[in-house]
Amino acid sequence: MKANSRFRIKDIFLYTVILFIAISAVFPIFWTLLNSFKFMKDIISPVPRFIFTPTIENYLRVLRLSDLKGALLNSFIVSTGSVVLGFVFGVPFAYAIARFTFRAKENLKFWVITLRMMPPVASVFAFIYLWLNLGMMDTYFALIFSYLLITIPTIIWLSIEPFRNVPIEIEEAATLEGLSPFRVFLQCALPIAWPTLIGGVLFSFILVWNEFFLAFTLTSERMTLPVAVGAYAVVGMQIAWGEVSASIIMLSIPPLILAGFFRKSLSSYFIIRS
Amino acid sequence: MNKKQTIAAFVLPAFIILLILSIYPLIEVIHLSLIDRSLVKPDSGKFVGLANFVKLFSDRRFWNALRVTFFWEVITVSFSLIFGILIALLIYRNIPSWLKGFLTLLFIMPAVLPRVAAAYSWRFMYSPLLGVFNYLLGLISIKQVEFLADRRLALASVALIDIWQWSLLLSVIILGVLEAIPEEPIEAAQIDGVKRWQLHWHITLPIIAPTLVSLSFLKIIESFRTFDLIYVLTKGGPGIVTETIDLYAYNVGLALEGNISYGASISFIMFLLTLVIANILWMVLKHES
Repeated sequence: MKANSRFRIKDIFLYTVILFIAISAVFPIFWTLLNSFKFMKDIISPVPRFIFTPTIENYLRVLRLSDLKGALLNSFIVSTGSVVLGFVFGVPFAYAIARFTFRAKENLKFWVITLRMMPPVASVFAFIYLWLNLGMMDTYFALIFSYLLITIPTIIWLSIEPFRNVPIEIEEAATLEGLSPFRVFLQCALPIAWPTLIGGVLFSFILVWNEFFLAFTLTSERMTLPVAVGAYAVVGMQIAWGEVSASIIMLSIPPLILAGFFRKSLSSYFIIRS
Repeated sequence: MNKKQTIAAFVLPAFIILLILSIYPLIEVIHLSLIDRSLVKPDSGKFVGLANFVKLFSDRRFWNALRVTFFWEVITVSFSLIFGILIALLIYRNIPSWLKGFLTLLFIMPAVLPRVAAAYSWRFMYSPLLGVFNYLLGLISIKQVEFLADRRLALASVALIDIWQWSLLLSVIILGVLEAIPEEPIEAAQIDGVKRWQLHWHITLPIIAPTLVSLSFLKIIESFRTFDLIYVLTKGGPGIVTETIDLYAYNVGLALEGNISYGASISFIMFLLTLVIANILWMVLKHES
């Protein structure tokens, strides 16, 4: 009986702490979501308001701003472009690392992961200088090409394991059937690895979707959504919180929706094994 | 086609692009740092040797940026890891699995948010008049706190956002590592009636220690990315108390002075620093396996 009640108290403590952590995890996003549906008078109320008359005015106003609308489109073009190219180049590379043995393999892996780790500040001025000199500053190509530095290493890194998990017998059987290595890769390995591999691809999409520093320095007309939202921080002192909240929610929807799909890749991305 | 050619066909396309994307910026950064190119002076660009680096050495604002970045690293890396470990241990073998699945999904949400979005959400919460923090402090009659404008609080306030994102993410990652360790030693210890914290201190943590070491190196490198958070929240202010290397390089190399050569010399230092840390990480990993 006594042990039982002690157990109870421990449980209450445990779940209180967990509840507190869970609330801290989502509260900032939740509050922004509420603000995005509020009229200004409800946002600036000194007592935080949970109950209010909702409005979609903020979203409508944001979507009427040509900057934001353009930025939304630019973000989709740039993210999709750099992920598709990252996939085309990165996946065969990852397959080679997973399946073939060759001398430079370990060094190549280290090189790829180091590229992924390089902070943007290490390369930003080189990119600015390059695109300025080529007269290609503020083009889709410039940003997509620069972003390959993010998508190719990320996709390589997260595709090695899915290819390793493809049963080798299937590939051996296909080789015996007379399929060339490319057909084995395309017709056997890729379809089987696909369900886990896609997580890494989606994760790389989010990395470029969220990217700010390079987009901020390399674009003006072709600015992406984070840059457009970031611009609210400069316009005067007064921030239009309703609009900002609505655009933050629009910016955050793709990562939040995709999070469920790439949560497994997320762990393998950060657990590095040599 | 022989085996070598096959491997080359798989590897070379990505290899060549990555080579261009890594060698070119490095060479260009070194080149820029050795000349005096300025974006606002069209005729600039003559060779100056190591003058940019010599200037950095006596540049007090650069040293300030280094110091701010150092504090930033210490705060964000240590707290993210400590909270990450504590939260993971709290959940590990302690709650039903449906709840665990739900919580891990919840806990990765802050990390996948665009940093710009996270920064604005928190900026609102930190607001002196509208923010929830000051509302709560007001309830216990503490007068307005300027989280982002107070010189003593600004860096910590921004760092809290990074810690919020990373500690929760790390807890999910560490939980995954914990669940992969063999059950036997833990069950044996539990039968012996060892207390939970003793169990973790003497058995669980030593087992996952190598992973924690590599995660901390990774977090050190990831913490160098501060631009989006600082830009939205403080722009380096008040004064220059939150001006990290990222912000200073941007200010001096582009926004304020357009001195791209000087900015590039900072880039080069950051490149070397990251390379050194990545090499240490790689050596640690090699040593383990």
